[in-house]
Amino acid sequence: MKVKVKLYGTLSGRFPGYQPSRGIEIEIPAGATVQDLLAHLEISESQRAVVIVEGRILKADDEMQGGFPVNIMQAIGGG
Amino acid sequence: MKFIRVNMSEKAIRVEDVPQDYAGLGGRGLTSIMINAEVPPKCDPLGPENKLIFAPGLLSGTTLPNTSRLSIGAKSPLTGGIKESNVGGTVAAALGRLGITAIVVEGQAPEGELYALRIDEEGNVSLISAQEYTGMRTYKVVEKALDVYGEKTAVLCIGPAGEYKLAIASIQSSDTDGHASRAAGRGGLGAVMGSKGLKAIIVDRRGKSADPVADPEAFREAVKAVVQIVKADHMNAVVMPQLGTAALVAPVNSMGAFPCYNARKGVLDGWEEISGERMAEMIKERGGNPTHRGCDQCVIHCSNVFVDKDGKYVTSALEYETIWAMGGMTGIVDLDTIARLDNLCDDIGVDTMSTGVAIAVAMDAGYKAFGDGGAAIEMVEEIGQGTEFGRILGSGPAAVGKHFNHDRVPVVKGQSIAAYDPRAMLGLGVTFATSPMGADHTAGNMVGAYLEQILDPLDPKGQVETSRFLQIAMAAFDTMGQCFMASVALLNPDSFAAFGKVIEAKLGTQLGPDEFPIGLGIRVLKAEREFNRKAGFTQEDDRLPRFFYEEPLPPHNTVFVISDQEIDSVFDF
Repeated sequence: MKVKVKLYGTLSGRFPGYQPSRGIEIEIPAGATVQDLLAHLEISESQRAVVIVEGRILKADDEMQGGFPVNIMQAIGGG
Repeated sequence: MKFIRVNMSEKAIRVEDVPQDYAGLGGRGLTSIMINAEVPPKCDPLGPENKLIFAPGLLSGTTLPNTSRLSIGAKSPLTGGIKESNVGGTVAAALGRLGITAIVVEGQAPEGELYALRIDEEGNVSLISAQEYTGMRTYKVVEKALDVYGEKTAVLCIGPAGEYKLAIASIQSSDTDGHASRAAGRGGLGAVMGSKGLKAIIVDRRGKSADPVADPEAFREAVKAVVQIVKADHMNAVVMPQLGTAALVAPVNSMGAFPCYNARKGVLDGWEEISGERMAEMIKERGGNPTHRGCDQCVIHCSNVFVDKDGKYVTSALEYETIWAMGGMTGIVDLDTIARLDNLCDDIGVDTMSTGVAIAVAMDAGYKAFGDGGAAIEMVEEIGQGTEFGRILGSGPAAVGKHFNHDRVPVVKGQSIAAYDPRAMLGLGVTFATSPMGADHTAGNMVGAYLEQILDPLDPKGQVETSRFLQIAMAAFDTMGQCFMASVALLNPDSFAAFGKVIEAKLGTQLGPDEFPIGLGIRVLKAEREFNRKAGFTQEDDRLPRFFYEEPLPPHNTVFVISDQEIDSVFDF
């Protein structure tokens, strides 16, 4: 399954040439969860990643659905 | 431990020991409890009976990092209730190093007279004529003060808006580079300062007469433990230094909760152009500084120096709430224009949040088109010039709504909401509705709880309880002079205990089991609520504007659904 991912916060740091306007497209197996997606991108737990699709925050064991852009950002407090 | 009482009617300065009733207080706790005790609740906020109190936190000026926060309190001309407006920069630490617990400005100078309060390295206090500063903008005021008194000087001042006594006038504070870029923006305290005839407070930063720490060795150890917690926090260690508070543009838009076009939508078209990521990229390309130490003794560095295409200074820092108010609410998707508006507001001395929302209300009423950056700049310039429209705008969003007979005005108790729509982040609506300050982004901000998945922003469950807990905790941290960012890292029982040890070592006392932050926070909130009640506030004032209950917000198309009864239970203590 192809997923279009955009990375925010400091998460794009390890993807050289990352273009914010385009994001990246990756291939994950059907049935992959949020946790699997983060593992695929080598985003560690310490980076406090949050996966948001269609305005909703997904839980670690939620199954990824194709066809929707995925925003990954970092948990921070108010400012 | 002394109060400096300055009577502007008599031009008299009195130094007094801090009464026992106020022992162990600083910052917001001190300003709020004093105002409740000393200011007639129904007084004219711009009259001689109001008092303007400047209080560094209990721990400001000590070696605990991130404590250079100053609380400024008074009865607010914007809300008609109690106000604590909190500002960073250099002044709080400077006052702490001089052992000054608070400056209390009372009375009123005769119309047309303008003064500055000067505190030198030895702690000597004098009132000097500031007639030559009349009408001067804030950057120039700070520049002149530093010219006269030297670089080791901290300045608080008002701009033309404060002199005009406009209800959204700010008090600006100098940062570590001597820019008047930090603002006690909320609640119109610049107008109170203007009404007193006080243009500036100029404090030497080299004071060496701080109040003693009761147990220096225990204090050192306790500070070390707190610093460790703050530095281990991912947000403070990694995200804030790189992106600053503007890092929130992405998550809040992605969650559909970024109030834009005067809160008509929850996602701004083209928000990525004004995101923290884009801002950091622009600053780096242009040779600005994305990781700036704006406040004394800061180890987080959430500030930045935004420069123009030629690398020339525009503002420091460009912050999330300003980007939202000046960019989201107005639909101006251009960081250069937003940065220019930020600088203009700081220079004229008005709150960027209330100003942006006031412009957005005018745009929503059809006065100008959303997205018209040139019009926004002209409108803010009108505040500085004191034109008729400028004075309406400078009186805040509610005044603008009234002028245009437009009822979509996102304010509570007269103060604008912040960058989180209550319809898509219910708990923020609870805090906006109930904070004694009016709608407020630091009083009990729950965006972190949503991103951490502790709460679902669209599910009413747990919103009231979390708002209550955060409002209590933040009232306590605001009393200590601890900055918001560091406080966010300390919101758990172990960290409360670690922080409590700092307080115990400082005061040489033993805190009770629930004294920090719960007991202290409740004490502060009770004083604030009591003042507001005596000023005439009722439960009906703890409500959001109607349209949040009736007009669904895209993309979730939800409304605010927390009942009045639940709202009224927030302060059941």
